[in-house]
Amino acid sequence: MSYHQFKCSECIPERLEHAVDKLPGEELTDALPLGYLNTIPGTISERGCAYCGAKHVIGTPMKDVIHISHGPIGCTYDTWQTKRYISDDGNFQLKYTFATDMKEANIVFGAEKMLKKNIIEAFKAFPEIKRMSIYQTCASALIGDDINAIAEEVMEEMPDVKVFVCNSPGFAGPSQSGGHHKINIAWLTQMVGTVEPEIYSKYVINYVGEYNIQGDQEIMKDYFHRMGIQILSTFTGNTHFDDLRGMHRAQLNVLECARSSEYICDELRVRYGIPRMDIDGFGFEALSDSLMKIGYFFGIEDKAREIIEEDTARWKPELDWYAARLKGVKVCLWPGGSKLWHWAHSIHKEMGVEVVSVYTKFGHQGDMEKGISRCEPGALAIDDPNELESLEAMYELKPDVIFTGKRPGEVAKKIRVPYLNAHGYHNGPYKGYEGWVRFARDIYNAVYSPIHKLALIDISKDEFPTDKGFETSQSLSDVKLTDEIKNSPDLKQCTSKYDPIPEIRAKSGYLFPDPETGVLREVPIEKLRKNKVVEVE
Amino acid sequence: MDKKTAEEKMAQLEWYISKHCLWQYNSRGWDREKQNERILTKTKMLLCGENAHEEETTADRYYWSEAITLVGAFKRYFPWIEETSKEDFTVIMQLLKDKMDYTMIKGSLNKELIKEQY
Repeated sequence: MSYHQFKCSECIPERLEHAVDKLPGEELTDALPLGYLNTIPGTISERGCAYCGAKHVIGTPMKDVIHISHGPIGCTYDTWQTKRYISDDGNFQLKYTFATDMKEANIVFGAEKMLKKNIIEAFKAFPEIKRMSIYQTCASALIGDDINAIAEEVMEEMPDVKVFVCNSPGFAGPSQSGGHHKINIAWLTQMVGTVEPEIYSKYVINYVGEYNIQGDQEIMKDYFHRMGIQILSTFTGNTHFDDLRGMHRAQLNVLECARSSEYICDELRVRYGIPRMDIDGFGFEALSDSLMKIGYFFGIEDKAREIIEEDTARWKPELDWYAARLKGVKVCLWPGGSKLWHWAHSIHKEMGVEVVSVYTKFGHQGDMEKGISRCEPGALAIDDPNELESLEAMYELKPDVIFTGKRPGEVAKKIRVPYLNAHGYHNGPYKGYEGWVRFARDIYNAVYSPIHKLALIDISKDEFPTDKGFETSQSLSDVKLTDEIKNSPDLKQCTSKYDPIPEIRAKSGYLFPDPETGVLREVPIEKLRKNKVVEVE
Repeated sequence: MDKKTAEEKMAQLEWYISKHCLWQYNSRGWDREKQNERILTKTKMLLCGENAHEEETTADRYYWSEAITLVGAFKRYFPWIEETSKEDFTVIMQLLKDKMDYTMIKGSLNKELIKEQY
């Protein structure tokens, strides 16, 4: 591998070691982009800050919590509702956001009194909510407000509430990744072990690094429950504050997004002896291997096999319909931190697309090791790209579609490259067998939409044919197919419902083996939604 | 089995692991050493028909789960696995362990591997 020199970054020589071409026959030991370093002055990074990483990625998906930022209003506004981490009980965490709205006077005279007033006011405004997470910002960190002391005062005065404090101001690291680290460790130190949860199954896990984007967690939860596995907590999608206080009682931590949550898994392993098992919930083969691994751990691999066989038979013909039409489509896989490695190999192998570039905004070198290993030779790997580098790469690589966030996605659209939202998704969930077909459908619709041609015509002045019918996605995609594939009775388009999640939520319960006797008994869905915990004195 | 054949077979197994396995990428060098040692040793034991349960701990159970999943995948991908002798597995798996220790730890360019704390 060799470093990739962007022409636009010749004036920023430090950028050279942040991009690498994966050449045939070369290995990770030949070259690896630098990562998780401070953004170089002069380059316009697409990164978020450490406050955003703590609050927006990890804190806010908790569903029964008042999430309050101690800082100016803009910090909370810009981290509100920008990700689709839904919950199964009304989406309080998406509907409301809270800030202490610090102003100049607070910076000069301190804002602790105002913070306390805000906390009490918020609890009174939402009396059914008894849990709070306070996020420090740059402003409150710089003036030295003691948020923990205020939280203690409030908890003394209001004994039925619990408050978690996350001290991760925007400057606490090179990117949002610094915030992931801080909130992982803060949660473990302040909260884990402060309740004892009820255990109702022989098999108990924490599902870590999963944020329920458009229902991902609920899809995976259904698989685990069908296997008889109790999910003590999900860190942190669609989960209760108190569930996460009982993480120490799991037998296994099943880790999905290692970039954002490996820290808490590693520490739970050191402090409580709970093993960490990294899995992939994306892609038929990777998901099947992951379910099997978990099955082997508990000795219930037959249960995993049943799900794999049933869901593969149900959804594979639909995946293959898209795979036949996506073969050779060029993709820039440009997500935030973990999807470059979750997706790189699976989309190539199972959908036939060619990953021409991987990048990560806030990943570390370990993420690049995974991403580069999992893509094919010829790909360009970029760490923390700036906007000009992204544009140069797109002009050079000519991708048919890019998978990225909303901001770089809009940049791509300006040069007429379609994009799919790799963070919040277009029509997710993308996890699970059905989800993977939904992802394939979204890629297909992005690449073959007739709008890309139509948008180039200015009907006020351009000549355009009036003797032809409209093109459709399928008329464009099927040009290159053989009749055998076009007319195959075995392949069919996605039949997934508009939203597959309500059906899962409507289930009445699941069978779990009793922790003592192993006898199967049904646990109703209401109990699965809210597990009992007992406070530890 | 001659050295060249053993190396070719080792390269196939290494390719599979590089595309599919996340356990090799723990963020610290000492952690990767342990992962490689425990999972690849158990994989070798299972390939050689031995009982790879060494302790009654959840940690051991975890390493075993990764190893048995890997063995299943090796059998799916590489038909030669079924015809390979115990002696040859020992050679191939030692080559694999040495190669992975080099690529992922000793020769790795990842600067975070030498940090002590998580």
